[in-house]
Amino acid sequence: MTPIVELKAATKDFRGNPAFLDVDFQLLPGEIHALLGENGAGKSTLTKVIAGVYPLSSGKLFINGREERLGTPAEGLAKGIAMVYQENSLVPSMTVAQNIYLGKEKPLNRLRGIYISAQQFLQSLNFHVDPSAVVGSLGAAQKQMVEIARAVHHKAKVIIFDEPTATLTPEEKSYFFKLIKKLKEEGVSIIFISHALEEALLVADRITILRDGRLVASDKASAFDRQKIIQAMVGRTRTDEIYSGASRTRAPRPRGPKVLSVENLSMGNMVRNTSFSLYAGQVTGIFGLVGSGRTETLKVVSGVLKRDFFHGGEVKIDGQPKRYLVPAPAVRDGVVYVTEERKAEGFFETMSIAENIYMGHLGGQPYGGLSIISMRQARSLAEDWRKRLNIRAIDPNAKVIELSGGNQQKVVIAKALVQKPKLVIFDEPTRGVDVGAIAEIHAFINQLADQGIAIAVISSYLPEILTLSDRILIARQGKIVEEMDRRNATEESIMYAAVH
Amino acid sequence: MTPSATTKTRHRIGLTQELIVFVVAVLLFLYFSVALNGFLSPENILNLIRNVAMLGMLSLGMAVVVIGRGVDLSLVAVMAVSLTLSIVLANQGYAFSTALALGLAFAVAVAVVMGFLIAYVEIPAIFATLAVSAIVYGLGRGVIASLDVNNIPDNLHWFLFLGRGAVLGIPMPIWLFAICSAALYLFLRKTGLGRFIYGIGDNISTARITGIPVRPIIILQYVISSAMAFLAGCATAASVASMNMRMVNSTLIYDVLLVVILGGIGLTGGRGGVRNILVGTILIGLLLNGMTILNISYTVQNLLKSTVLLLALVIDALLNPRDEQTSQQGDI
Repeated sequence: MTPIVELKAATKDFRGNPAFLDVDFQLLPGEIHALLGENGAGKSTLTKVIAGVYPLSSGKLFINGREERLGTPAEGLAKGIAMVYQENSLVPSMTVAQNIYLGKEKPLNRLRGIYISAQQFLQSLNFHVDPSAVVGSLGAAQKQMVEIARAVHHKAKVIIFDEPTATLTPEEKSYFFKLIKKLKEEGVSIIFISHALEEALLVADRITILRDGRLVASDKASAFDRQKIIQAMVGRTRTDEIYSGASRTRAPRPRGPKVLSVENLSMGNMVRNTSFSLYAGQVTGIFGLVGSGRTETLKVVSGVLKRDFFHGGEVKIDGQPKRYLVPAPAVRDGVVYVTEERKAEGFFETMSIAENIYMGHLGGQPYGGLSIISMRQARSLAEDWRKRLNIRAIDPNAKVIELSGGNQQKVVIAKALVQKPKLVIFDEPTRGVDVGAIAEIHAFINQLADQGIAIAVISSYLPEILTLSDRILIARQGKIVEEMDRRNATEESIMYAAVH
Repeated sequence: MTPSATTKTRHRIGLTQELIVFVVAVLLFLYFSVALNGFLSPENILNLIRNVAMLGMLSLGMAVVVIGRGVDLSLVAVMAVSLTLSIVLANQGYAFSTALALGLAFAVAVAVVMGFLIAYVEIPAIFATLAVSAIVYGLGRGVIASLDVNNIPDNLHWFLFLGRGAVLGIPMPIWLFAICSAALYLFLRKTGLGRFIYGIGDNISTARITGIPVRPIIILQYVISSAMAFLAGCATAASVASMNMRMVNSTLIYDVLLVVILGGIGLTGGRGGVRNILVGTILIGLLLNGMTILNISYTVQNLLKSTVLLLALVIDALLNPRDEQTSQQGDI
C-alpha cells in the first residue's frame, strides 16, 4: 500500500534550532495514527509541516506518492490535508454554518441556503450543533465538532488533530473516538497528537513516538504497551529521574506566611468567583485543562489582566487589598509572572541575554526609567544569573531569539527573578524546553521555595505537577475547585477533579 | 555553530546598511562637487546646511517614535504652527522668550493629547498623528494666524543668530543639530527611559509584563518628537526670519520618513539609533540639494523621492520582517 503521506529524512529548524531532525514518517490510507511525545518533542511542528503551515528545511514530503512542496495551509487543504488545531482556528464572530463554509462560499452567498445544507451535513455526522449559533458562544467540545465538520466538509483525505481530547469530558471523548473510527471507515486517514497514552493504545492502528525532535519508534499499536511507550518517550534516562524517585517521596514543605489570598475573583467568562491562597516557602501546583481559567486567574493576580470592575472580588498581597490595572505595580510589590508564551510576551528578541536581564532589573525598580544605564552592572548581573541558571550561549552577545528553547526560558526566568519577587508565578515553565533544562529549571524552582519565596506552578503535565508541588490546586471552568495534599494526590485523582 | 553564524550575518547586514548609505553619501558629495557648477559655492553650502539641519532634527524626533514602534506624521505641522504661534504672540507684544516658551508649551500639549490617544485610547499611531496633524494645521491657518507666512519682529538678533550665526566657523544650525544628536544619543543609550523605548518597540507585551510603565513612555516619545519639531522650527525660522505654514502641505514629512528608513531604523521598532539618522540625513540632504541645482522639476523630484522611499520600505520589510512573521517563524 502506498502511504498517503510520507516524510523522508525530513528536518525543520527555526533559525538553527531544529524542531525535528531527520524524520522518516509514513501515514497509510485509512489508518488512525497516534503521534506521541513529550512537550517540545516536535509533534506539532511535524504535523504542521504535513498540513503545509511550514515548508520543510530539508528532506522530502510525498503525498500520494508524489513529491510536494507545501507552503501554506491552503495548499495543504487543496491536497486534502486538514488540520484541527490545539487552539482552534474558527472565526468566533461567525456562525457555525459560515465557519463550515468558510473559503468555499459561492460568489452570491445566501445565508438561508447554507444554514439548511449545514444542518443536513451536521446531522449526517450526528453532531448536535445549531448551525446558526455564533461560534464564540459555543463550548470547547462543540467548537471542536465544528472544526471536525469543517475538515470533513472540505473532503479531507487526511485529518490531523492536535491534542483533540485535552478539552473534552470523558463522554465527549468516547464520542470523539467513535467519530474518528467512522471517518476511518470512510477511508480518511487520521493523525492525532496526544498526551494520553491509554487513548492512543485504545484507538490507534499505529503509533509513532518522537523524542527531542527525533523519531524513536513507529510501529503497529499492538506492538506497544504503556511501559514501552513511556520508555520510548522519555528514553529511560533523564526524564525518569526528574518525574519520579526522590522528589516525589520527599515530605512536602510546611506552609509559610500567607502571601496571596484571592477571594471571589471574577473576570468575564474565564474566571468565575474563585478563591484560594498561596503561601511562602512552598510550591503550589495549579492544574487545569484548557478553558479552566488557570492562566487567566493568575494573570489577574499579577496585573497582566484586569478583574471585573463590579463584583470582581478581592486580591490581597500580604493582607493588603490590591487592584492592579497594569503589571508594573504588581512587579514593584514583588509579584512576577513568568509567561507560558515566551516568544509573544517573554523576552525582547532584538536584545542580548544581558540586556534582557537588565531590562528586568530596571523594570523592577521604582523610577527605574530615571536611572543611568551601567553596562558594567548589566554584564555583572547577567554573569551572575548565567551561573545561577546555567544559561548556555556560544556567543554572550547573541540575541535571545537565537538561543535554544531551554536557554530562552532561563533568560525569561532570570529577567523575572532579578526583580526580587516574593511571589513567582510560573506558567508552564518547561513547555518547549529540552530534557536537561527541565531538570535544571525544576531544581531552581525548588531552591526558590526553600529560600522562602511563594511559588505557583501552572502546568498541564501531571507528572510535573506531582513532582514539583507541595500542595496542588485544581481549576475547572474558571474556578479553583479542589485542593490536594501532594502525598494523597495521584494522576488519576487530579484528572478526575479537573474534568468532573 | 549555526546560531553564532546567523548573529554574525545579522550584525554585518546592520553595518552594511549604515555603511552603504554613508559611502553613497560621500560619493554623491564628491560627484556633485565636481559635476555641479555652484554646488561648492558658499551660498549653496549654507543653504544645504540649513536644510540638512532642519531635516536632521525632525528625523531625530521621528526616530525616537519609530524606535518605539510608532510613527509621527504631525511633525511638520507641529513645527510650523508652534513657531507661528510664537511669532504671532511676539508681534502682539509678548517678549519673544515668553512667546517661544508658549510655542513650545503648545507643541508639548499637542504631543500629550496625541500620545494619550495612542497609548490609552489605542488608536493606531499613523491615524492619530495624521488627524492631529490636520487639526493643528487647521488651528494654525484658521485661529492662530490669518496669513501663511509670518515674519519675526525686527531687532531679534539673538534669535536670528541661531539660524545665521556661526561659532568657531561652524553655522549655528549645525551646532543645534549636533547638540540634539548628542543629547538624544545619551538619552537613548544611557538612560533607563531610553532603554524602555527600545523595549516597547521590541515587544510591548514583554515590556508590560516586565513592569515597564508602557503607556506613559509612549506619551513621552511623542513629547520628545514634538519638542524636536519645535527646535527644528526655531532653526528654520531663525535662518529666514519667518515661518511659512505652507510647509505643512509639502512633502517634507516623507523626506523625514525617508531619512529614518533609509538610515536603517526599521519600522518594526526596537532597532537603530542616532547614528542611522546622521548618515540618512547627510544622504537625503545631499540628494535634495543636488536635484535642485540640477534643475530637476519639483514633480520629478517627488517622483524620485517617493520611489526611493518605496524601495527603502521594501528593503526594510525584507531585512526586518514584521512581528507576526517573526513569531511564527520561531513557533515550535
